[in-house]
Amino acid sequence: MPKRGGLGFSIPVLAGVLFVFLLLLVVGFVIGPLGRSMFGDLGLPSWLSVPRPSPELPAKEVFHFFGFPITNSIIGAWLTMIVLVGFSYAVTRRMKMVPGRLQSAFEFLLGWLYNLCQRVAGEENGRRFFPVVATIFLFVAFNAWLSLIPGFGSITVINAEGHQVHLLRGANTDINMPLALALVSFIFVEYFGLKSLGIRYLGKFLNMGQFLRSIGQIVRGRIRAGLNGLFTGVIHVFVGFLEALSELVRIISFTFRLFGNMTAGEILLLIAAFLIPWVFAIPFYGLELLVGFVQALIFSGLTLVFLTLAVAHHREEAT
Amino acid sequence: MVRWVAALRLIGLGFFIGGSILLGVFAGLWLDSRLNTSPVLAIVGLVLGIVVAFYGVYRMLLPLIGKKQDKENS
Repeated sequence: MPKRGGLGFSIPVLAGVLFVFLLLLVVGFVIGPLGRSMFGDLGLPSWLSVPRPSPELPAKEVFHFFGFPITNSIIGAWLTMIVLVGFSYAVTRRMKMVPGRLQSAFEFLLGWLYNLCQRVAGEENGRRFFPVVATIFLFVAFNAWLSLIPGFGSITVINAEGHQVHLLRGANTDINMPLALALVSFIFVEYFGLKSLGIRYLGKFLNMGQFLRSIGQIVRGRIRAGLNGLFTGVIHVFVGFLEALSELVRIISFTFRLFGNMTAGEILLLIAAFLIPWVFAIPFYGLELLVGFVQALIFSGLTLVFLTLAVAHHREEAT
Repeated sequence: MVRWVAALRLIGLGFFIGGSILLGVFAGLWLDSRLNTSPVLAIVGLVLGIVVAFYGVYRMLLPLIGKKQDKENS
């Protein structure tokens, strides 16, 4: 048994790997566009360098299904669903009391999410919100991680118009998917709010009580008290209006946060691989793994927070 | 519990500000092009967006400022 240096490798192996890594980094730097602009063209073969990436925001249509365009981001989303369903099936098919590796990893992940739900929303509400929150988390995270697998973006097909398009694309790099997720989150927030508070939930947005009372007082001749109340009433109505607007803004901010982070990540990887080919992009892959996890956590966590706020008994005075 | 909620709320703030201002401005610009009132409604939208941004930030930060203040304001 050789002496262990680090990461479970012996020191000579580790040094060799490091040396190869650095060598690739230097060679990549020299043959890449950066090195070429510094040292001039060294006459190296063209297959060494990476072609200039041309990121495009709209997803490409791969084929039509009964006149309905199927884009590569939709196929990416389907792939994510298939992977998630397949994984869940594989994990739960033979559940054991003493779980294996895969089962305990999934149990840990879901248990952690479940705990988070219960700690934020409380015992009972946490159980109600868990399916929504966990679904969003798993979809966003797995979708981001799947699109990091090397080769994910390399498969190309010829579509109906004869263009060469990528078969797969991270679903959240197409703005429609984050928008759909944001709408799902929005609808669930409103649904749970309405379900648990009933019609009173809408009172948050249409806070007319004070305003109408003051109008009534003025009509009945109590001008002074009426005018005093009228001012507060107008503020209440305005605050309700702001509340409704901020509910809409939430959809926008959810959408653009996820879309922006995912798209920026893809472009960052492309540019890193283009400027200094081969190994330079590896640290950015690590970064993108983290970003995928963090974005999933943010999206699902914020949904959870807003769900909790929606079912909380609303305070009478909004200001 | 409190720490998670606080962290998530703070993370949500930045994009909320941007989103509300952008929504206001673009809604104003769109209405301007429809009604030929450029640039009045764009400015109104901008101001409204900023107001919504500040109000939203205030509401989201309210529980973080302190329990005492939260109770006073509620």
